[in-house]
Amino acid sequence: MTRRDAMPSSPRRRGRTRWYLVTPLIGLAIIVAGVVWLESLAPEVDTVDRRVEGVPPLAMPDERACTRQTGEGVAEELRDAFPQGGRIGSTQVHLCPRAFDGLGVTYVGEVIGEVLPRRGGAWVQVNDDIYALEVGPLVGHREQDGFNTGMSVWLPDGLHQQIEAAGRPGRRGDVILVRGTLHQADPDDGGGITVRAEELEVLAETIEIDDPLHVPQLIVAIVLAIAALATVAWSRRTARRA
Amino acid sequence: MILRPGADDIRLIAFYLGKVLLGLGLVMLVPTVIALFAQEWNSATAFVVGASLCIIVGSASSARFATRRPLTWAHGMVIVALAWLIGAVFAAIPMYLSGRFGDPLAALFEAMSGLTTTGMSVIHDLDHTPLSEDLYRHLLQFAGGQGIVIVVLSLFAAGGARIASLYVSEARDERILPNFIRTARFIFMVAGTFLVLGTTALFLALLGAGFTPARAIYHAINLFFASFDTGGFSVMQSSIIYYHSLSVELIVMLLMMAGTLSFGLHFALWNGNPRDVLRHLETRTLAITSTLFFAAVAFGLLRTGTYDSTEALFRKGFFTLVSAVSSTGHQVNVGDTYLTDWGVLAPAAIVGAMAIGGMASSTAGGIKAIRIGIAFKTLVHDVKRILLPESALVVTTYHAGKRRTLRDETSRAATTVLLLFLVTHLFGAMVGLLYGEFDITQTLFESVSVGSNIGVSIGVVSPEMPHGLMAVYIVMMWLGRLEYVAVFALMGYLLSLARGKAKA
Repeated sequence: MTRRDAMPSSPRRRGRTRWYLVTPLIGLAIIVAGVVWLESLAPEVDTVDRRVEGVPPLAMPDERACTRQTGEGVAEELRDAFPQGGRIGSTQVHLCPRAFDGLGVTYVGEVIGEVLPRRGGAWVQVNDDIYALEVGPLVGHREQDGFNTGMSVWLPDGLHQQIEAAGRPGRRGDVILVRGTLHQADPDDGGGITVRAEELEVLAETIEIDDPLHVPQLIVAIVLAIAALATVAWSRRTARRA
Repeated sequence: MILRPGADDIRLIAFYLGKVLLGLGLVMLVPTVIALFAQEWNSATAFVVGASLCIIVGSASSARFATRRPLTWAHGMVIVALAWLIGAVFAAIPMYLSGRFGDPLAALFEAMSGLTTTGMSVIHDLDHTPLSEDLYRHLLQFAGGQGIVIVVLSLFAAGGARIASLYVSEARDERILPNFIRTARFIFMVAGTFLVLGTTALFLALLGAGFTPARAIYHAINLFFASFDTGGFSVMQSSIIYYHSLSVELIVMLLMMAGTLSFGLHFALWNGNPRDVLRHLETRTLAITSTLFFAAVAFGLLRTGTYDSTEALFRKGFFTLVSAVSSTGHQVNVGDTYLTDWGVLAPAAIVGAMAIGGMASSTAGGIKAIRIGIAFKTLVHDVKRILLPESALVVTTYHAGKRRTLRDETSRAATTVLLLFLVTHLFGAMVGLLYGEFDITQTLFESVSVGSNIGVSIGVVSPEMPHGLMAVYIVMMWLGRLEYVAVFALMGYLLSLARGKAKA
C-alpha cells in the first residue's frame, strides 16, 4: 500500500461513516425506550380474589439448605424439628431432601399441566408458589415472584378422579391439599423426589382468568404492521429498479 | 497499519444485518399465527410489534444499503457477531412485552439464551405461559441451533461463495459439501428428517405417558426443538421431571446425542459410512471422556448414597451427563439438589463434561471434543519429540473426515480457544462470587454451564439473580456460541474505526 492510499479521508466521508454508526444506535435506543413505555401501559387487574383460603401454615418456617458446608447437622435438626404430618413447602424439600425422606407430610398446591394417568393412579405436578396460592397466574398483573416451584405427587386411584382441571395458560387449576409420604429418591419414579398421597382435599376449584386486552399495544401493532408492509413494498420496488 | 473501515463497509454490514432481521421477523410470525389461533390476543399483538420492527428495520436496511460488493472475512466476522447481538435485542421485544420478565435485561437474557441454545431461563411463572410465547422460546432455539445467520442468508442471499465467511464465522467450520448453500440445505434436511422422526416418537411416547393428542403434539414439537437443537428450554418449569416417563427420557437422550453429532458425521451416516464416524477423532474423544465422566458421576452418586437403584443412576446420573455433554441442559433434578444431594465428585464430573461440550459444527456448545482431542494429540506429540532422538521426524496424524497431519497452527488454534473458554469460565465464577450470595461450587458450575451454552443450572440463574451477573452471563453466552473469534474480530473492527488510518 502506498502512502497516498493511507491518507486521511475527507471530513465529509468521515462524517458519513460517523452518521452510519450513530444512527442505528439512536434508532435502537428509541425502539427499546418505546417497548419499555408500551409495556408500562399494560392493564392491571386486582388479584385479591385469587388468594386461596384455608391453606394451613407451614409446619416449619425456616428454609435451610443441607450443603456440604452445613453438613449432616442441618438435616438431622430439620428432621427432628419437623412435626409428623405437618405442612411442607417444596422449596424446603429441595434445599434438604434427605431431612424429610420417609416422613408423613401435608402438601398444598395447584395441579398444573395435566393429570397423567398410569396403572393404579396418576402423576400430577403440584406447584405451591405465589402464582398457585396467592396472586394467581401471571395474567393481567405484575406481581412477579420468580420461578414456579413444586413437587411431583402420586395420586392412587380414587384420589386423582377428584381433580376437575389442571392449571394452564389463563387458568389456575384445582388447589389441592394432600397428606402422604415424602420420598427423597422414589424408586417408582426413577429416583425423583415425590409425595405419595394417601388423602386428598380440594381447597379451591379451578378458575379461568381473563387477560384484559392491552389496547395501546393493539394500536401500536396495527400501525407498525402497516408500516412494515409499506417498507416491504418500498424495498421491493427499490430492488426492482436496481 | 490498521485501515479504518469506510462508509461502504458499514453499508455492506448493514445490508446483511438487515437480511438477518428480516429472517427473525419471519420467525416471529409463526407464533403470531398460533397466538391468533389460540386467541392469545396480547401475545399476538406483542409478536406483531416485534415482527414489524424487525421487518421495517430489515427491509429498510436491505433496500437502502443494497450492494453487490463481495464480503471479506472481516465483514463476515463482524456481521455474525453483530447479528447475534442485535438479533437477541430484537428477539427480546415480544418477550418483554409479555410481562413475564422483570426488566428488558432479563428479556435480553432469555432471548440470548434461546438463540445461543443455552437454555437457561429467567421467565416468571413459566407453567402458565401462553402456548404461543412458549413456542416462540423454543423456535428461537431452533433458529439459533441451525445458525440463524446461515439459515437466513442461505434462504435470502445470493451466491454461496459470498456467504462462506459467514458460515465459518458462525462457528461452523466444517464444509460438508463444496457449496455453502448446499451445505446449509443439507443441515436443513437433517434437521427436517429428525423433526419428523423425533416429533413422531415423542408424540407416541407422550400419548403412552397419559397426554391427550393435542397436548402431546404441542409438547413433542417443543421438546424436539429443545432436544435436537441442544437448547434445553422446557415447556414446564420442572423440565423432564414433569413427564415421569422412561420412554420420553430415552427419546430425548437420543435426540440430544443426534444434536451433538457434527453435521459432517451426519453426512457420513447419511451416505452409509459408519466407519467414518467411529474413526473420527471427535467421536473417540467424546466416547472416552463421556465414559470417564459417567464412571465418576456413578461413583460419586453411589458414595453419597443418593440413589440406590441402577434405574435411578441411569435416569438421573446418565441423563444429566448426556444433557451436559450434548450441551442441552434438560434437567431431571431440581437445581438445588446438585448442591445438597449429589456430593462433590458427581457435580465436578458434570462440570467437566459441560466444559468439553459436544462436537464442532453441531448445535452443541462447549470447548468441543475435537479441540480436546487435538490438545491431547499435541501433548503426546510433544512428549514423543522429547523422548525420541533429535534427528527423528515425529509425525502425528488423526482422523477427521480424512487422515490429517497434526500441524502447529491447528494445535495453536485448538489450545487458544480451549484456554479462552477456561479463562471465561473462571471469570464468570469470580464475578458470581463477588455478590457474596453463592459459593464457589455454585458459581463455577453455573459459569461453565452458561459459558459453554449448556443450561444445566445449580440455581444461580433465576429471575431474582443480580443484574450485573446477568449482564456478564449474556456476554458469556454470546462469546461461547461464536467461539470468541467473531467477537474479537468485531472488537478489532471497532478499534480500527476509532484508531485506524482511513482508506484512500
